[in-house]
Amino acid sequence: MKEIGLALRAERRRRAYAILGLLFLLGASVALATAVGSVDIPWATVGGLLFSWLPWIDPPRTPGPLATIVLDIRLPRVILGGLVGAALAVAGATYQGLFRNPLADPYLLGVAQGSALGATIGFLLPFSGTVMGLGLVPVLALLGGLLSAATVYALAQVGRALPMTTLILAGVALGAFLASITSYLLIISGNQLHGILLWLMGGFSLSHWGEVKVLLPYVIVGTGAIYLYSQPLNLMQLDEEQARQLGVNVERVKVTLLIAATLVTATAVSFAGTIGFVGIIVPHAVRLVWGPDHRFLLPLSCLAGAIFLILADTFARTIFSPTEIPVGVVTAFVGAPFFLYLLRQKKRAVF
Amino acid sequence: MKRLALTVLALVFLLAGCARPTPAPGEIVDQLGRPVRLDGPPQRIVSMSPSNTEILFALGLGDRVVGVTDYCDFPPEALDKAKIGGFSNPDLEKLVALSPDLIVADQIHEKEVVPELERRNLPVFVMDPRNMDQVLESIVLLGRATGTEAEAARLVEEMKIRIGAVAQKVAGLSPQERPRVLSITWHDPLWTAGKGTWEDQLISMAGGQNLLPELEGYKTVDLEVVLKRDPQVIIAASGHGEALRAPYLWALDEPRLKGTEALKKGRVYEIDADIVSRPGPRLVEGLEEMLRLLHPELNR
Repeated sequence: MKEIGLALRAERRRRAYAILGLLFLLGASVALATAVGSVDIPWATVGGLLFSWLPWIDPPRTPGPLATIVLDIRLPRVILGGLVGAALAVAGATYQGLFRNPLADPYLLGVAQGSALGATIGFLLPFSGTVMGLGLVPVLALLGGLLSAATVYALAQVGRALPMTTLILAGVALGAFLASITSYLLIISGNQLHGILLWLMGGFSLSHWGEVKVLLPYVIVGTGAIYLYSQPLNLMQLDEEQARQLGVNVERVKVTLLIAATLVTATAVSFAGTIGFVGIIVPHAVRLVWGPDHRFLLPLSCLAGAIFLILADTFARTIFSPTEIPVGVVTAFVGAPFFLYLLRQKKRAVF
Repeated sequence: MKRLALTVLALVFLLAGCARPTPAPGEIVDQLGRPVRLDGPPQRIVSMSPSNTEILFALGLGDRVVGVTDYCDFPPEALDKAKIGGFSNPDLEKLVALSPDLIVADQIHEKEVVPELERRNLPVFVMDPRNMDQVLESIVLLGRATGTEAEAARLVEEMKIRIGAVAQKVAGLSPQERPRVLSITWHDPLWTAGKGTWEDQLISMAGGQNLLPELEGYKTVDLEVVLKRDPQVIIAASGHGEALRAPYLWALDEPRLKGTEALKKGRVYEIDADIVSRPGPRLVEGLEEMLRLLHPELNR
């Protein structure tokens, strides 16, 4: 008995170290991603610029193209990439836990298809405008994502209960319906076609601080809310009925987690487009390495997702510089083999 | 191994032979070198691209054009013609229903659409201009196909004179006098016109230099490279309507471009995308407009 307790404590310590390690890696990734780019800037210059920026309050800016490149092009892009990666990974882990389904990903409930439709409509409207400093496209994408998720919930609700299978099926069906409208709009979009296609592929080109400011609170509040429910989520892995007997308010946990994960996903998608693979694979990779306990799985996924997407985007903008490739190409091309490797290494892992 | 190599070589020659057979009498050759069989001057012509429509009208064949694409909006008379669908995805059914005796296609139709038309015994003439000289050549060839050789010669002569005038004006410019030009096709992500594009060719013909000469075709470009190379002029391709002016409006507004020479000197311009991207008679207008924007001092 005592030995088991010791083993458990060692296991916990291992995960605590993992969180610290990933935090350090995240810092290193941000630094690396800010230091490299299509323009060669000496690392010392980048470091100097970053320090001049760090005091936060009224940064004493050294004007000039290098400062603009490091502080207004690279840094917001890196941070946005990290936030989106964290958001997608945490949402993916949440959905996988809730649905107890390894194929669940943040786009399962039609959020991506709803956002895509919203963005496409934003492109096709004959006027442009800004809402709170944001263009019509991200605003409509956000609206589309949230609306479609809300529709899916409403459709799947049976009385006061929310059966997970119905939810998945409603999400898949509504997603297909919305995707068909988007496809039709693409065909008739004429001159706007390439703009829309590029948006749909996703990416962080031209990310700016305004987007970071909007996304940051959603990601913090959303992931915070999700984390608060990590223990009930663990209990629900057994069986909803058993969790209920153990005192978990199952319906409330489900609704809160779904809303938080959906909100986080929808905001991420509206700024970055639909970047595939991060939300489904990062949580699995974390689970393979550090186990399925949600108290660790959620924060570790958050960190790993941020690191992964920051590095993938750095790759996307530097490999063929000065031209860029869509980051979704990199996430799948690099991520899939890595994941398959993990899968082979830990064949006996329990999902 | 050697035999395999020989077989491959023989096949290559065979295929090459297929691609460019010598035209039989009564046949003309299109810009891909394909023979096209015509029985007399065509009376029912369908154009499968906006540039072809512009050339046909410029040759005075407007009355004989019976079908155009959804995108053929110049000259305005073209809007009244029957529509055969999009540029890359024409509606074959409508096309066949028009019973054309000449279809003027574009190189993008070569792989999928042209074989379908040939299977139905419709005469297809494919245009494939890659530079200004080949635009002139394509006009001459189409003139030959439609029995309007004289009109084609006159049109080409006029275009040559105008091209020559521009060339003469920029001939004396030193490399320092040729501004670095960022050409914007789309802004999110930032999409620029690299080597081989019409924009790129017009910029250099009008006495400028492409900011990103190492890129081939239309490519996304990292904003930081743009800042580093500091464009002196920014030219955004604009369509009609506010939504299609988005790249230009972006360039004017983007705070991170403020430090570039182009913004400081107020040299951000928009240009009608149609006159710099359609390989037709109006490409010369695009060239003259480009000269006005890059070298206002040479236009007095």
